Amino acid sequence: MSAAAPIRALRRPSGGVAGLWLALVALAAVAAPLLTPYAYDVQALREAYQAPSAAHWLGTDEFGRDLLTRLIYGARTSLSVSATAIAISVACGMVLGAAAAWFGGWFDRAVTVVVDLTWSFPEILIALILVAIIGPGTTGTMIAISVAYLAQFTRLTRAQIMTLKGETFIEAARSLGAGNAHILLRHLLPNALAPVLVSAMLATGDAIILEATLGFFGLGAQPPTPSWGGMMSAGSALVFKAPWIIIFPGLTVAITVIAINLYGDALIAALDIRAKLRRAA
Amino acid sequence: MTFPFRKTLLSASVSLAALFAGAAVMAQEAVFVLNTSEVGAPTYNPIKATNLNKATTLIFDRLVSQAADLSYHPWLAESWEEAPDGMAWTFHLKKGVKFHNGEPFNANTVKEWLELFKASENAYMTEAVAEVQVIDDATVKFVMSRPEPNLLYNLSSSYMSVIEPKSYKELGDNYGVTEVYGTGPFKLESFAIGQETVLTRNDDYTWGSPLSKNTGPAKIAKITFREIAEDSTAFLELKTGGVDMLLGVPADLIGEVKKEANLAVLTMPGQDVYYMPINVTKPPFDDIKVREAAAKAINQEEILASVFGGIGSVADTFLISALPEGHVPDADKIHYDPVRANALLDEAGWKMGANGVREKDGQPLKVSLWTQSDSIFRRLTEVVQAQLKAVGIEAEITTFDSSMIRDQYKTGEQQLAVRSYNWDNADIVDWFFGGDRLGYPNVSMFNDPKAEELRAKAMTGSKNMEERVANFTAYHDYVLTQFPMAPIYQPVDAVAYNADHLVLPDTINAPGIGPVAIMDMEVKE
Repeated sequence: MSAAAPIRALRRPSGGVAGLWLALVALAAVAAPLLTPYAYDVQALREAYQAPSAAHWLGTDEFGRDLLTRLIYGARTSLSVSATAIAISVACGMVLGAAAAWFGGWFDRAVTVVVDLTWSFPEILIALILVAIIGPGTTGTMIAISVAYLAQFTRLTRAQIMTLKGETFIEAARSLGAGNAHILLRHLLPNALAPVLVSAMLATGDAIILEATLGFFGLGAQPPTPSWGGMMSAGSALVFKAPWIIIFPGLTVAITVIAINLYGDALIAALDIRAKLRRAA
Repeated sequence: MTFPFRKTLLSASVSLAALFAGAAVMAQEAVFVLNTSEVGAPTYNPIKATNLNKATTLIFDRLVSQAADLSYHPWLAESWEEAPDGMAWTFHLKKGVKFHNGEPFNANTVKEWLELFKASENAYMTEAVAEVQVIDDATVKFVMSRPEPNLLYNLSSSYMSVIEPKSYKELGDNYGVTEVYGTGPFKLESFAIGQETVLTRNDDYTWGSPLSKNTGPAKIAKITFREIAEDSTAFLELKTGGVDMLLGVPADLIGEVKKEANLAVLTMPGQDVYYMPINVTKPPFDDIKVREAAAKAINQEEILASVFGGIGSVADTFLISALPEGHVPDADKIHYDPVRANALLDEAGWKMGANGVREKDGQPLKVSLWTQSDSIFRRLTEVVQAQLKAVGIEAEITTFDSSMIRDQYKTGEQQLAVRSYNWDNADIVDWFFGGDRLGYPNVSMFNDPKAEELRAKAMTGSKNMEERVANFTAYHDYVLTQFPMAPIYQPVDAVAYNADHLVLPDTINAPGIGPVAIMDMEVKE
């Protein structure tokens, strides 16, 4: 992947707007304590259920906590859990997929069977089962999401390597005496990287939704740590009384996920790898 | 190609006819939504069920009915006498009562029905009855193995709904699922587990409980009970006219219902208690001082006001306030007392640390706090967490799916939890604190020799009601002084209904909305 591609993606109108939003959310997550005068976990029950105002831009929640503050801290949870989970998933998926494609034989068959099996279940189901086993909380959610998406990256990497394996430049490298590790690390994986990274980008959007879903069921970050899904869940019971408690986290999740998808699309166009992605799916 | 056209025309006229027919019977029909806690009840078999929904109480009658003041009144039993030593009860049964399948109700029915309880899920209901003697067609005598002052309560419970023994034996496990026969004011027309139950009026019914004005056939001809798991969805259905009544409305929705001009709310004393079990076996809670401190850190008034909008009342004992066994000495009631909580923790060696969390020997006072995934529990638990933090106890919340949390309790790993129960008899103290039920239901893992002694006396050593009340009060009082839990809140039972469509009776002489209320209910023409 050329270094200029992420920048080129920003030049497209949709990619630019999306990139701006994502940068904003990421910045807010990193600089959370500097951006807001409120604490995310201190209850002020007398100030509960306040509608948006000058003091509380997005209103207060059922415990009188500032909603914007919780949304910003929630970005920390949601983004870090989703991004870390996908990073783990990509790393493990690439190793597994590359090894399966490269070594072939019974190892390849075993990996393919397991991957296809998990691929046939919806991610949410796998994640729910895993969280039930590991236990609720951010670590559990992270592991659950990374396992849920493992199949996708394993398949994608395997498909990339399988096509690249027969190319003449690999043949050339081998005849020059290059070993397995050298060919895999220096020739195959770099060439397979672009589509994997783009699909990781798109999967992060899905992972944010999955994290929010687990949070909505109360299985994600445990209170008082805010997460977007947990906030929506609390708000869903209060939708008539204080609709802002569910609306703002909901909008944030929606806009962030759309932004990730738009930027991902822009990146695909900039890299011109649409065909490669289609082949793997 | 005229055929498709004609078919369309035909189906259009058919649906039009259905529409008119629907409008004609609309007037006598009603759609109720079951309380969310009753969603998914798998059977209408009272002998084997551990969760029965409200529709059960319309399909079956009971021998005894209970009034709003918890006193007992005739129903299928017209009168009864208890032997002075409590070792026998004689019931005189109403004559002319018939089951939905035409079978008569008489003394033999009662004998056969009670025998079915043996080795069933609800065997404890009839445990003290040694033998049922048929004196004549309308008289039965229960010979007791020990005095059971709680017998009338058991007989008034929906788990002692009188079933039809013949079909019960024939249908086996299908009884209560595919077919069910009782003597009640409504017959089962259809039942889809977790979805809906349709009941139609029993036109032969003339033996209603004297607690309702109408003892003849019900005024409503057909009732559909729908099961909706989410309270806010059920409320939307009520608001948009899809249903006529919600049989359970959580406190935080009552205000929203009252905002609607056509909707009304009826509240009655509730039978739920919210509380925080404290696992007495897990350090630091093996120290009674720490238990008392945690219990007295809970600010019940603040929770009532902020979480439940001031609707309902605070709980300061383990029992609902309607029960006489709840009248323990004021000093033993558990109230918010931050000064005492802090002093006790200091005394126990837990000194306030720099970050607001207490420490002892370098260890922070960190404990686990379990809750279930229903939104009301999650909200309540976060407030409890903040209140514990105020005295220096850091509680980490773990949320479990409501259907799985009982299995989690069985591991005994919990320290603190927030939960609730629904029961209107003092024997619930035995259920949740009995030393032979550690884990679940005894979430507190409480097993105390003195408590066991008082428990045995309360459960089986009472000859009459006064003795039972005294024994249970003593047992309950002792349990409170050991702080295996902190009482939090007592909700009200609230139903919301469409006042344009339903007319509810002015007074309901029953502990909750059930057959007594529904018999007097009318649909507006």
